[in-house]
Amino acid sequence: MLGQQIMSGLATGSLYALTAVAVVVVFRNTRTINLAQGDFAMMGAFLALVFLKTFELNYYLTVALTVICIMGLGVLTERLIMRRIADADWLTLFTATLGVYYILHGISGWIWGRDTKAFPITFDPTPVEVLGTIVSQGHLINMAWTAGIGVALYLFFQYTKQGIAMRAVTDDPVTAELMGIPVRFIVMLTWAMAGLLAAFAGILIAPIIYVAPEMMDEVLIKGYVAAVFGGLYSIPGAIVGALMIGVAENLAGGYLGAHYKVVTAFVMIVVLLAFRPQGLFGIQRRREI
Amino acid sequence: MSHLRCENVTVCFGGVVACDNINLEVPEGKIIGLIGPNGAGKTTLFNVLNRFQEYETGHTYYREQNVDNKKPHEMIDLGMARTFQNLNLFSEQSTLDNILIGAHRLIGNAFANMFSLPGARRNEAALVDKAVAIADMLQLSGELDNPVKNLSYGYRKRVELARALAAEPEIILLDEPVAGCNEEATRELVDIVRHVNRNLGVTFLVVEHDMSMVMKVCDYIYVINFGANLADGTPAEVRADADVIAAYLGEATQ
Amino acid sequence: MGDVATSAVAARPTRYNRAVTALKAQFERQNWALAVLFFVVLLIFPALPFVEGWMAYQASLIVIYIMAAQGVSILTGFTGLVTVGHGGFLAIGAYTAALLMKYTGLSVIPGMIAGGVMAAFIGCLLGLIFLRLAGAFMAIGTLGFAFFIGSIFNNVPIFEGRTGISLPPNTVFGVEIDDFGFYYVCVLALALITLFVYSLIRSGVGRAFKALRDSEKAAESSGVNRLLYRTLAFSISAFITGVAGALNGLIVNYVSAEVYGDIWYSVDLLVAAVVGGSALLFGPFFGGFFVAMVPFYFEELRDFAFILKGVVLIAVLVLAPAGVAEVIARPFRAWRRRLLDKARGSAQTVEAEGARS
Repeated sequence: MLGQQIMSGLATGSLYALTAVAVVVVFRNTRTINLAQGDFAMMGAFLALVFLKTFELNYYLTVALTVICIMGLGVLTERLIMRRIADADWLTLFTATLGVYYILHGISGWIWGRDTKAFPITFDPTPVEVLGTIVSQGHLINMAWTAGIGVALYLFFQYTKQGIAMRAVTDDPVTAELMGIPVRFIVMLTWAMAGLLAAFAGILIAPIIYVAPEMMDEVLIKGYVAAVFGGLYSIPGAIVGALMIGVAENLAGGYLGAHYKVVTAFVMIVVLLAFRPQGLFGIQRRREI
Repeated sequence: MSHLRCENVTVCFGGVVACDNINLEVPEGKIIGLIGPNGAGKTTLFNVLNRFQEYETGHTYYREQNVDNKKPHEMIDLGMARTFQNLNLFSEQSTLDNILIGAHRLIGNAFANMFSLPGARRNEAALVDKAVAIADMLQLSGELDNPVKNLSYGYRKRVELARALAAEPEIILLDEPVAGCNEEATRELVDIVRHVNRNLGVTFLVVEHDMSMVMKVCDYIYVINFGANLADGTPAEVRADADVIAAYLGEATQ
Repeated sequence: MGDVATSAVAARPTRYNRAVTALKAQFERQNWALAVLFFVVLLIFPALPFVEGWMAYQASLIVIYIMAAQGVSILTGFTGLVTVGHGGFLAIGAYTAALLMKYTGLSVIPGMIAGGVMAAFIGCLLGLIFLRLAGAFMAIGTLGFAFFIGSIFNNVPIFEGRTGISLPPNTVFGVEIDDFGFYYVCVLALALITLFVYSLIRSGVGRAFKALRDSEKAAESSGVNRLLYRTLAFSISAFITGVAGALNGLIVNYVSAEVYGDIWYSVDLLVAAVVGGSALLFGPFFGGFFVAMVPFYFEELRDFAFILKGVVLIAVLVLAPAGVAEVIARPFRAWRRRLLDKARGSAQTVEAEGARS
């Protein structure tokens, strides 16, 4: 029983991780807390729903198309809005993403309506046995996708030119620019990456909860809390944080009651920030945020 | 009696030793200089004295009272004010407001102040008068309502000093007060420092690169290099010290 | 140290002392006149012939939003701290007043005050946790707080979750009041709070807030106790929004988690503060009006209301980041600055200084 809860906690946590990583990546490259991250995912879920149901495309094609579209959404946000205020203080940047949040909420409600919709389940619902616990295949698939994305990200940052350039921009944007790194392009790439992660988050979460404009609100806040576990800077930290939240939530729900599930994340962040404000893995930054 | 003293203070940033067993004593009522090549650790030491910077070993004393655990805002209450090397003014606010914040410790009861009760209002008026007087002394009267960002560099340096004076401090730490100033501005500032020191009894600890200014105005000088004490003495002694000459000029001049 | 003011210089009445002080006093009188005029208009409004009950209700809502936005702007505009969780204080104010009214029959005015006090208390506690943190972390913390409070109201039985708590009609000093009466209570509260904020901004405490906003290091170096003043700002801000929250619940005689259980109020208030201009006294008046009127005009097209708020918010950030009020105030401020300059002949001083250094 405990093992089962931990496993499903890891599964939900891995979905939070996608959002958390996106928050970290955007924040450390652009000093922006992206409040619209959840809604990018929500749009991804809606688009995937349209592709699957209205156009009856196959699942993998849907995923590919959705990812491309939401990456485009991220890039669009950057070019139309964030670029114009790139030099502003972080509160302005944050509030601008709040504007995007409103707009996406409105657009999705307008186009698709505010009622909750079901997302078709594309995996076999029979549970399988893993490590002595019984897990649904859906959970496993989610964890597999997330792990795959995690590995891909790692390879990207370690070995590709763009990934290394991105790390340079994170550490020191001014020097990076002086060294000839096209910072504006990297910023655009950052938002594209946020879109990619959001698309996956939306598609993977939708079957588990539902599809509606507000579907990602709770996930977003948990993604933030997880990102804070990584000091808003470390990707592994954010992933670990997300997994911890998933597990803690599940355990709290199982042993204390469903009501307590929601407050777990908040309690965790209070405890964390009270005792270790820079996060579990975060690097102490002297710069005033 | 010693006004400000630090004893065997060591500050490390990761692997770098910024301050290495520094000893420094500022006697009351004097103007003490702190000089050393760039990167010697002077501003770090100021941050230590101002309590912005933690240190690994050593102690700091204010009037022989241990202040290791004090916070920066508590140092002002004790009577220590400080200026910043790169000017830390509130650029959007007016000169008057910048000076007034220096007098923050004198605003009295916070609640009375917030609600503008009669007593607090009288106090505020008095603070404004004092700020105006300080501005007059530093010849800033014309700029009192100007946002500080509109002022020239020389004026802004004076506002920074005015803000320190507004606290009615017993000791002021000046971090490169005449950096970037021409001869006339330097002379004016020296006059002001002397006036405040002699007529108002304020102790000064001055970090500076302008040697002639330091030699002229200081009673005693400390020289630090690579974060450690190199030499100390009267201006004449320091000027003639071989170690100091070597540190500043590299090779001895032929 | 001897008092600098005793130096001979202070005794001499310079040009600054006379002309500029007189001019500043005149500006102050103008400010007061405008404010009084504004509130007189607000008070007369219900007496106008075409005004009906529902208009007083809508006007009350606007006043409530303005008040709540004032709370936010004290924190963001004047102290430089971020809050995406002030909806939580609105909710705390509403529920405090509601529970007190339901179980002890408290009337509107004490309910209002109780709501504010409770919000301030919780704000103080919250501040202890979050105010040590750098801006970004604090923003996330306050957002988490809003969610947390929302789920508390959704799940803890005494708050009656989504069913909500229905309240008896509002009374003031034992007399039942209607929409018009409630409107007057709101305007009175707004007037008192605006008066307080005006006093706060000009006080030494207000200076300390602004100093923390503009340069924490310099503020601390000048003697401002960072944690204490941040907590004070947070508590005051929470109090004001809490009072608004109490009124928000009492105006419809109903509170429920349906209304207060999510983060919409929190972000709406941030929008109000930013669009109006959070660093000006009358910024929240514009912002509160905007945020209160959008649902009024777009009651049917709720989705379009969202899009509009987002677009306006982004437009303001790109074109007028200091808020609508700042843009409106600019010509007046420039005019006043010119008058001040003339009064002290500063133009010449700057020129002369430029030639020397």
